[in-house]
Amino acid sequence: MTASVGRVPAAGHGPTVSGRFAGPGSVFGKTVRDSRRATIVVAGLTGLIVVAAAQVLTADYGTAQARQELKDLALSMPPILQGLAGKPVNVDTLGGFMTWKYGVFFPLIAGLWSILALSGTLAGEVRRGSLELVAGLPVARRRIALEKLLGHVAVVTLAMGVVFVLTAIAGRAFAQLPGDEIGIGAAFAYALWLGLMALVAGSVAFALAPFLGRAPAAGIAGAIMFAGFMLNGYQAAIPQFAPFAGLAWFAWTGDFIPLAGRYDWPSLVPVAAVTVTLFVVGVEAFARRDVGATSAIPWPSLPAPLLGLRDAFRRAVGEQLPPALAWAAGLGVYGLVMAASGRSFADELARSPDLTSFFASIFPGIDMTTEGGFLELVFVEFGLVLIGLAAATLVAWWASDETTGRLEIVLSTPLRRVGWSLSSGLGVFVGLAIVTAGMALGIAAGATAAGGDATTPVAGTLVIGLYGAALAGVGLAVGGLVGSRLAAPTVAALTILIWLTDFLAADLRLPDVFHEIALSSHIGAPMVGSWDVPGVLACLALAAAGLAAGTWGMRRRDVAR
Amino acid sequence: MAAIIRTERLTKSYGAHRGIVEVDLQVEQGEIFGFLGPNGAGKTTTIRTLLDLIRPTSGRAFVFDIESTVDPVAIHRRIGYLPGEFTLYDRLTGGQTLAYFANLRGGVDPAYQRSLVERFELDPSRRFREYSKGNKQKVGLVAALQHRPELLILDEPTSGLDPLVQQTFFATLAEAKDEGRTVFMSSHVLSEVEKTCDRVAIIRDGSLARVDRVEALRDLAAHQVELRFAGPVPADAFASLPGVSHLAADDHTLRLHLAGPIGPLVQAAARYELVDFVSREPSLEETFLAEYGRASAEVTPP
Repeated sequence: MTASVGRVPAAGHGPTVSGRFAGPGSVFGKTVRDSRRATIVVAGLTGLIVVAAAQVLTADYGTAQARQELKDLALSMPPILQGLAGKPVNVDTLGGFMTWKYGVFFPLIAGLWSILALSGTLAGEVRRGSLELVAGLPVARRRIALEKLLGHVAVVTLAMGVVFVLTAIAGRAFAQLPGDEIGIGAAFAYALWLGLMALVAGSVAFALAPFLGRAPAAGIAGAIMFAGFMLNGYQAAIPQFAPFAGLAWFAWTGDFIPLAGRYDWPSLVPVAAVTVTLFVVGVEAFARRDVGATSAIPWPSLPAPLLGLRDAFRRAVGEQLPPALAWAAGLGVYGLVMAASGRSFADELARSPDLTSFFASIFPGIDMTTEGGFLELVFVEFGLVLIGLAAATLVAWWASDETTGRLEIVLSTPLRRVGWSLSSGLGVFVGLAIVTAGMALGIAAGATAAGGDATTPVAGTLVIGLYGAALAGVGLAVGGLVGSRLAAPTVAALTILIWLTDFLAADLRLPDVFHEIALSSHIGAPMVGSWDVPGVLACLALAAAGLAAGTWGMRRRDVAR
Repeated sequence: MAAIIRTERLTKSYGAHRGIVEVDLQVEQGEIFGFLGPNGAGKTTTIRTLLDLIRPTSGRAFVFDIESTVDPVAIHRRIGYLPGEFTLYDRLTGGQTLAYFANLRGGVDPAYQRSLVERFELDPSRRFREYSKGNKQKVGLVAALQHRPELLILDEPTSGLDPLVQQTFFATLAEAKDEGRTVFMSSHVLSEVEKTCDRVAIIRDGSLARVDRVEALRDLAAHQVELRFAGPVPADAFASLPGVSHLAADDHTLRLHLAGPIGPLVQAAARYELVDFVSREPSLEETFLAEYGRASAEVTPP
């Protein structure tokens, strides 16, 4: 006798159309829904800067004469100052100015978003265990990966649509002089380029994540993007960078500046090809490999004494060591490369008295022929952003005690809440000290190799470290008082907010108070030994007060699950 | 006997959400106390309040006669705790994890720690993140047991354990009881609670529904009784007896549910020629299910 089991007809209603495309009705829809906040932030941020840039040009350079002066200034700037700006093409027009002054940062912001999203869209769910449930549904794994990927591509397209609309509107609303108007085609081409730059960065993380897991994939993709950005930006000023700059996608599309009227469509082809190839690698790797089976990057285990099994403080330091060492290595290499490159810049200055006087007029009191002067110019701004992101990572590690639930067991031992809070908070500061030490070592090695003075810039890294400690202190305070889940996002948001405030406040003619509240504007010029003592003390106070406030809050509130 | 755990109108609310409401509970020294209730009933909230992980909205909790919010560390020094859901340090091995928690407690007897690791068949050389769910649970159990605490507070301790390890676990609890230690555990495995616990509390919607000895709780649910007679009997003569329900007559056989004392039923049956009498005792599970729908708590002292 045989038995047959018929397919049970589906009962009830299927997902709604809105659920399929932006809700829990499909893998694609849920991906879109889960990305809504990030999409709003990225689209809002880039849109804000587009409008701000247009407003700046209108307010500051409203006449043809002023535009000519702007153009002359941009063209006369030495490569080292152009480093982190775009190519000065048609900077006397609205589109050219926007691209030159601000546009170069957009691919970093959008790329970072894409890296975080695409490294976690599959690997993050694998780690949480939720993907096992999805993979158990009657949907092929290849389709799950594709829907997740397309969901992200859709929200990037949406964000770029906002950039396109705002660019086109700003191009019409703020156009003052001939050549200012930004056509629909130019705005579209710019948004297309920006979306592609975001996706190529994300594609690296997407391809690596099935093999390495989320954090290593995001870290490697971020390092590749950031290194490419620096290599491309400084290749003219630092000849040693030039051979490697050609590997960066920023260099490939260097002549595609549609807002300035320069198009290089073929340059987009290799970027698109790399993106699609890496997407295919990511989808196929997810479809063919075991779910959640990643290969650890060979990395020596910490020696047993460094694991910190003796008490809560040592355990906190032991937990912070791996991320702290990773950041220390990254910032150390960055410091090493930049410091080692200082000699060629000093030689260039020595050959050009005009250039020397140019810098003396812009940076009075700073000797640009020293290692410290060079690092003040090229290292500090991004160094502050990076130490802030390092602080966010270490604070996230701190918060994981509570967010993963292990704090329940830790606090069921005879360990006081105050003891845990102080020990683990101090662990964050020890982690930051390790990051700072790595940065200082890199700078010392680079400066020594270049034959310059290493002592002053190495001492200056201490101020950068204190700045990071201040941000971490804010995170610890928020974590202790409100909830540890908010701690790391607060530090990351504060880091970006301070950078943006410092970056935009002057251009937007915002009241001085905006510039004054940016902590980064109170650290002096540490790489040349000029310390803003009140600012440094404020950093120390924020770190200590943050730890104290967090500890006080932790004593009073419920432990979260 | 001294009360090891005592709560007085213990209440915890999470804003608009109910936690627990005026829970009055007493656990005596040396007993194994089961804490039963469906998901979301308030078991974990009660446990976390006892440990001062969360603070009561009103009311008080005492462990070893120490108020939980006044000196939690003095309580923690004497307890072993296993949460319902937890994770530990991914990069540490099981052995390193146990060593760390032993150090936080000022050291443990290594021989006893080793014996627990062997009994639970735990491989201490693997990293925590590499363990299966059951093995992670074993690490948590050994961490809670290794310092021979006076009081064990265990939230769903058998979750993820295979039946053999569950047996080992319950044997370990029995040994703890023999040594005069106290166990307070929540569980969904009612058959195990029935075999292991001395007293049981049932919590429903944040309030204690009943606290009693396991045997007494069993009596709360109706016995299923079957009476077979030599000849026909009037069913009406039994329907009016106290505690009788679900009465069904079939030929010479009566089937009924009986809640409460069995005496009146036996006396009534004796008036006829009784051939067979079968009474099946309800399980704790049936008691648990029967408790749903009852509101006020009835607490019977041990």
